[in-house]
Amino acid sequence: MSEQFSRRDFLKLAGVGAATTAILTGCGPASRYVKREPYMQMPEYNYNGQSTYYATTCRECAAGCGLVVRTSQGRAIKTEGNANHPLNLGKTCARGQATLQGLYNPDRVTNPMKRASRGADSTQAMDWEAAIQAVADALKNNKPEEIAFLMGMAPDHLFDLVTDLAKATGMNAPVRFGALGMFDARATLSKAAENLFGQASLPFFDVGGAQVVFSFGANFLETWLSPVSYTRGFAGLREAQTKQRGKFVQFESRMSMTGGKADEWLPLRPGTEALVALAIGRLAAEILGGSMPRVFASVDPKDAATKSGIKLETLEHLAEMFASSNGALAIPGGAALGQSNGLAVAEAVLALNALSGNFGKPGGVYLSALAPNQTEYNRPASAREMQALVQNMFDGKIKVLFVHGVNPLFELPASLEFGGASKYVSQIISFASFPDETAREADFIFPDHHGLESWGYQRVATGSAQPVLSGAQPVVSPYYNTRATADVLIAAAQLAGGSFAAALPFKDEVEFLQSKIASLMSEADGSISGPDIATFMAYFQQHGGYWKLTDGRGAPSAEDMLNRTIAAEEAEFAGEGEFFFVPFVSPTLAEAGANKPWLQELADPTTTVMWNTWVEMNSETAHELGIENDDMVKIVSEAGELEAPVYVYPAIRPDTIAMPFGQGHTAFGRYAEGRGVNPADLLGSHFNEAGDLAFAGMKVKVTKTGEKKLLSRLESVMGVYGIGLGEEK
Amino acid sequence: MAYEKKHAEHAHAAHAHGEEHFREKHLMLDPLPRGQMNDMVMESMMEKPTWKFWVVIAILSAIVAYGLVYSWAKMIAEGLGIAGVNRPAYWGIFLVNTVFWIGISHAGTFISAILRVFKAEFRRPFTRAAELMTTFGLVQAGFSIFMHMGRVWLSYWLMPYPNQRMLWPNLHSPLTWDLLAITTYLLSSTMYLFLPLIPDLAMARDRSTGWRKNFYKILALGFRGTEGEWTHLRNAMNIFAFAIIPVMFSVHTIVSWDFAAATRPGWSSTIFGPYFVVGALHSGMGAVIVVLAVIRATMKHMKYFIRAEHFDAIGKLMLIISMAWAYFFFNDYMVQWYGGDKWTKQLLHFHEAGPMGWMWFAMLIFNIVIPWAILWNPKWRSTPWLVSIVGILINVGMWFERYIIIPVSLTINRMPFTWRLYKPGVEIPLGLGTLAFFILLYMIASKLIPLIPVWEVQEGQMAHELKKFGRETVVTVSELE
Amino acid sequence: MATLADLKISEVKLSEEQTGKWGMVIDQDICTGCQACVAACAMENNLSFVGEVDSGYGRSMHWIRIERFWEGAYPEVKMTPNQPMMCQQCGSAPCEPVCPAYATMHSQAEQLNLQVYNRCVGTRYCANNCPYQVRSFNWRDYERPEPLSNQLNPDVTVRRRGVMEKCTFCIQRIHKAQDKAKSEGREVVDGEFTTACAQACPANAITFGRVDDPESLVSQLAHRGHGVKHLEELGALPSVTYFKGG
Repeated sequence: MSEQFSRRDFLKLAGVGAATTAILTGCGPASRYVKREPYMQMPEYNYNGQSTYYATTCRECAAGCGLVVRTSQGRAIKTEGNANHPLNLGKTCARGQATLQGLYNPDRVTNPMKRASRGADSTQAMDWEAAIQAVADALKNNKPEEIAFLMGMAPDHLFDLVTDLAKATGMNAPVRFGALGMFDARATLSKAAENLFGQASLPFFDVGGAQVVFSFGANFLETWLSPVSYTRGFAGLREAQTKQRGKFVQFESRMSMTGGKADEWLPLRPGTEALVALAIGRLAAEILGGSMPRVFASVDPKDAATKSGIKLETLEHLAEMFASSNGALAIPGGAALGQSNGLAVAEAVLALNALSGNFGKPGGVYLSALAPNQTEYNRPASAREMQALVQNMFDGKIKVLFVHGVNPLFELPASLEFGGASKYVSQIISFASFPDETAREADFIFPDHHGLESWGYQRVATGSAQPVLSGAQPVVSPYYNTRATADVLIAAAQLAGGSFAAALPFKDEVEFLQSKIASLMSEADGSISGPDIATFMAYFQQHGGYWKLTDGRGAPSAEDMLNRTIAAEEAEFAGEGEFFFVPFVSPTLAEAGANKPWLQELADPTTTVMWNTWVEMNSETAHELGIENDDMVKIVSEAGELEAPVYVYPAIRPDTIAMPFGQGHTAFGRYAEGRGVNPADLLGSHFNEAGDLAFAGMKVKVTKTGEKKLLSRLESVMGVYGIGLGEEK
Repeated sequence: MAYEKKHAEHAHAAHAHGEEHFREKHLMLDPLPRGQMNDMVMESMMEKPTWKFWVVIAILSAIVAYGLVYSWAKMIAEGLGIAGVNRPAYWGIFLVNTVFWIGISHAGTFISAILRVFKAEFRRPFTRAAELMTTFGLVQAGFSIFMHMGRVWLSYWLMPYPNQRMLWPNLHSPLTWDLLAITTYLLSSTMYLFLPLIPDLAMARDRSTGWRKNFYKILALGFRGTEGEWTHLRNAMNIFAFAIIPVMFSVHTIVSWDFAAATRPGWSSTIFGPYFVVGALHSGMGAVIVVLAVIRATMKHMKYFIRAEHFDAIGKLMLIISMAWAYFFFNDYMVQWYGGDKWTKQLLHFHEAGPMGWMWFAMLIFNIVIPWAILWNPKWRSTPWLVSIVGILINVGMWFERYIIIPVSLTINRMPFTWRLYKPGVEIPLGLGTLAFFILLYMIASKLIPLIPVWEVQEGQMAHELKKFGRETVVTVSELE
Repeated sequence: MATLADLKISEVKLSEEQTGKWGMVIDQDICTGCQACVAACAMENNLSFVGEVDSGYGRSMHWIRIERFWEGAYPEVKMTPNQPMMCQQCGSAPCEPVCPAYATMHSQAEQLNLQVYNRCVGTRYCANNCPYQVRSFNWRDYERPEPLSNQLNPDVTVRRRGVMEKCTFCIQRIHKAQDKAKSEGREVVDGEFTTACAQACPANAITFGRVDDPESLVSQLAHRGHGVKHLEELGALPSVTYFKGG
C-alpha cells in the first residue's frame, strides 16, 4: 500500500486545497511510507531559499491548536497558526510561537540514558535496543496492576495507545495530569456540568456571541481551557462594527490579564463568588419579574454585599446590566473554582446562565463538541485523583511508573508528596524531552521527540464549535537520538510478548495512527475524505487534522436548574495568616515555558516582569507594612514557605497576595533552573467537592526579610507609577 | 638666581617707589633682557624631573593603560553592554566627556585669539599654556566620541572619502557637521598653536644640544628671526587669530545642535548654541586657571612670568562668563518652563526633584554661587590656590551640566513606559583615562615645549614703559604691530 | 527615470496617498496584551534575548512592546487599553536625517524606514530622536547557544553588537509577496500576507496592509473614525493608527 505512493503523488495532493501557501504533507525529511526517488529530481524543500510548510498540532498546551510550520532546508524556521484549523483559525499564542525554542533548546535530552542513581547528575548513555529492552522488561517482569502510566493533559494518540494497552493487559489506566488542568479546575467544571446537565463535559462559553459577559475568576484570555479560541471570542464580544460593543465584568480578587480588559473589575473577597453570583441572580430575577427561582431565593443580597465587599448598589447595577441584556453570559473559572466551595461557585454561576436562558444559544453556554473519534469526555485527573495515585505509590502498589508529558515534581504541589512516594516505586521511566525535575528523579530517560518531530493526533477538548481531531506530523527530522514513545511502547510490547504484543499489533506509530483514524475515512460531514487510508492519512497530515463541518456542540438542558438549591456558603481557607493567597498561571510561561528563553524575556502582561517570580501586593498594604518594590518577603503557609520579591500592584485586594506559577525550577535546563520560586510549594492538599485542588484556598503570613532583589521589568517604574520622579503620584 | 635676587630688591624698595610697585605687579613693566628670559624658560623646561614627577607620570600612565587602553579594548570586544547606556539613555558619559573636553579646549582659543585680537596685554605669558589645552582637550574629545560609537572600527565611514559603493556621509546629520567642525577645529587650533611656537622652538634649538637640538631643529622649520620671517609669521598669526574665532564659536554651536536639532523635550532649544559656547568658556577658563596655578607652583621661574595680575585678570573673565552662563541658563530654563509642554515640564521637574536633583543644585552652586561669591573680591581672585579651587569646581559644575543635559534629560521622553535612569559602567575608567591622558600629555609637553612664548612677552615689555610726569608714574603703551 | 520635478522635496506629498505605503491599524480595545505578537516578532526577525539583568535595564530587544498604564486607585483601578508600540514607520521620520552614515533611510518603494544594519556604526542618534522609543540597540553580541541558531530565519539578517535595529514591518515578507506576485504577473492582493505580529494576534487586533489603497482593509479600518496616531503633533506622519475603543 505504502510503496505505491510516490512523493510526486504527495506533492500533487499538496497542491489541493492549499490556497495561499502550499502546505505540504509529511514528505519532508521525516517522511515514512514514501518511496525515495533519485536526487536528480530535487524536491522543493531542497531548493535554496525555498520554504516548505507543514501542518501540525501545537503541543505547548493541551488546547490543540493547529500550526503550520515553515521549514527551510530541513530546519524549522517559524510556527504560524493553521488558518483552516477550526480551533485557532490561523492564530497562535506566545507559547505556540516559541515552540521552536523547545525544539532547538540547547538543553534537550539527546539520547536514551540510565541514571546512576535518582537525582544524580551522572548518567550513562544507552542505545535504543537496550532502552526498548528495559521497557519490555518493566512491562513483562511486573504484574500489570503494578504498572502505571502518568501522562500529560493532552488527549492524544499516545493516551489512546496506552489506554488500549492497559485495557488489554490489565495495567492501570493511564492518568493524565497537568498543572494547567489543576489551575483551570477542569474537574470542577466537568462535575458541575454532570450535576446540572446530567452529562460530564467541559462547558463551552460562547463569549463572542454574548452582549454582557460576567466572568467569575475565569482567566480565559490567559491559559484557561483554550486561550486562543477564547481570545477570538473576546474580540467578537468587543466587535462594535456589526453589533453593539459587548460589556465585560470580571470578579476576582487580583486583577488578571483577563480582568485588565474588563469594563468593570470587581475585587470581591475570595470565597464569596457563589454568594455574589446568586445575589446577582436574585436581583436580576427581581428585575425580570415573575416568580423568584428557588435557586436564588435563599440569598440575601445585602448579606452578600457585606461579605463580598461589593456595594449593594453595585450588585444592583450589575443585576440590571445582566437582566436587561439579551445576551448575558456568566463564566465560572480559575481561582473562583479552586476553593473549598468551588463546585458551588460553578453551579451558582451556571445558574445565572439558566436565568439568562442562554443554553445552547449563540452567546451562551454549550457542551463542548466531542472530537470525531470520541464518545465521551474524559477529563484529566484532578488533584485528588493524583493524590490517590501517590497513595498507591506509597503503598508499594506501583512498581513501575512511566512518565510522559508531565512533570509532577514541579506541577504538583509539594504537599502531595509525589517525590516522597516515588521512593517506593522501584522503577521510574521518563520519556521527557527535557531534563526536568521528574526526569532527574527517574531511573531511565528515554526521550520522546519534540512535538514538531512527532506524529500523532490530539482531540480538541473545547474551544471549537466543530468536532476536531487535530493532526500532527514531523516537520523536521529528529535533531537528536530520540524516539517516539509510541514506537518505543509498540516495540517493547512486541518484545514483552503475550497480551502486550497482542494489544499493539502494529509495525510502528504511524500504523497505529492509521488504525485509529481509519474509521473517519468515510464519515459524512468530514473536512476530508479519502478512498484509502494512505490518501486519507496524507490529507489528514496536509490539513493538520480532521474536523466535522457541522456544529458538534451540545445544548445543555436548563430544566430544573433554577429549582435546585445551591449552598451559597463562603469558602473555607486553610492555614493561618492575614493574607489570602492567589497563585495564578503565568500567562506567558505556563507550566512548561520556563526553559524557552524568549518566553522568559516576554513581559508578563500585567506586571511586565521578565525572567523571575514576584509577589503581588496591594499598594496600600505594602505602604502599611513598609514594603517597597523589590523587597524580598517571606511567605509562610501551612504547607511551606518561600521568599520572593514584591511587586507593588495597584489592582489587588489589600488582604490578598498573588504569585505566578511557572518559575522555580530546580532542573529543566539553563534558562529555567534556579530562577524564581514555585508557589505550588505553598499549597496544602485541600480539595473541593469535585476533587480539584483548593489552590486559592490558602491563607498565608508575609514578613519582610530586609533583602532586595531587583525585578526586571519592561515598564518604567518612574513612567508608569511615578516612583522616583520626585513626586508621589 | 639672578631673577629672584633682583625681585627681592624690587620688593624691598616697593613701598618707597611707585615705579617699583608697578614692576612688582605687572610683568609687562618688569622687563628682563631677552637672553635672560630665554634662559629661564629653557631652564624650566629642561630642569631634571624630580622623583615626584616620575611618580605622577607612572600613576597617570597606569590610569591611561587601564582606563583608556584595556577598558576600551574590552568594550570594543564585548560591546557597549559593559557601559551604562540603555534605552532611553542611549547617550551617556562618553558624549558628556566629548562636550566637556571640547568645552575645555575653548579657553585656549579664546584667550589666545580673542585676547590677541583685542590686544589684551595680560594674555602674553600664558597664550601657549592655553593653546596646548585646546589641542590636548580636543584629543580627549575625539577619543570620547569614538568610544561612544557602537562599531568604532567602521568610524571612517563617517568621513567623506571616495569609495566604490558610492556612499557618502549624510550631510543632514548634525553628527556629520559635528565631525567636520571638530576636525576643522583640531587642525586649525593645532596650526594656531604651532605658529607662535616657531620662534620659541628656534630659540630652544639655539640653546640645546643632542636629540633636543634635532627635535627643535625639525620643528622650528629653519626659523632664524629675519625681518621677512617675522612679517610672514605675524601675518599668518593674524589671519589665524581672526579666522579661528568663528571656528571656535561654530564648533560648540554645532555640538549644541546635536541636541538642539533633536525632537526631544529639553533639547529643542534655540538658545543652545550660545549657551553651549558660554558654557564651554566657563569650563575652559576654569581649566586655564588651574593649569596656570599648577605650572606656577611646580615649574621653575614661572613666578616671574605668571603673577597675581594674571589670576586677577582671568578671575574677572571667569566672573563675567559665569554671569553670562547664568543669564543663558535662566533664559533657557525660563522659556522652556513657560512653554508649558507637558513633557518639558516633567523633565524640568525631574531635573530638580528627581533622583539626580542633587546634581542639578550642585551645578548651580558650582557654576554660579561659588564663582560669584569669591571672584568679586580682587584679593581673593588673585590668590592662585583659591581661584584654582573655584576653577575646579566650575569644571565639576559644567561636567554636571552636560551630564544633566545628556543622560538625565534622556531619561524623560514622550514614552513614559520607557523612562529609565542611567547608571554609568565602564564609562568611569574610560573617562578617568581621558583625564589622565590629558594631564599626561600636558606634563610631557611641559618638558618638550617652551610653555612661555618669550618673544611675545618681550614684545609686550618693549611696548610698555613707565613714564614720570612730575611725581606721577604713568604706564604708557606704544603700538608695535 | 526621475525627473527634476520628482526630486523637489517640497512637492513630495507626505501623506497616506503615497504610492506603495504600508500601514497598520491596531485595535487597543481588543488587544489582550497576551504577548503573542512579541513572541512572533522575535521568532520571525531573529531577535536576540538579552537575559534578566539587561532586560531589566532597558536593553531588551523587543521590536514591539505592549504598554499599559493604570488609571484610578484601588478599588476603582483600571488598566489602560494595552498599547502595542512598534516602529511607526513615519512618513517624515525624525530618526532618518540624524544618522551620519545613512544607515536609516526612507524607502521610496515601500514608504518604510529602513535600517541598514551593515551600514550602521552605532551612534544611536536615531534612537534618541525617535519619539516612540522603539529602536533597540545591540549592546552586546548576545548569546544564542547551539542549536538555537537552527531556527534563524534565513530571510532576516542576524545583527551583531554595535548595531541599531527596529521593526521593519516584516519587509522580508513584503518582498516575498511582491516577488511572488510579480512572477505571477499580478499585483499583491490585500490580505495575501501579513506581518508576523498581525498573523499571530489571537484577537486580530493588528491589521496590516497598503494604506494608499482605499479599498484595503487597513485603509477602511483606519478611516472608520476615532483613530489616533500617536504623537501626531510632532509631524512625523506615523503609519500606525490606534483605536482606543471602550
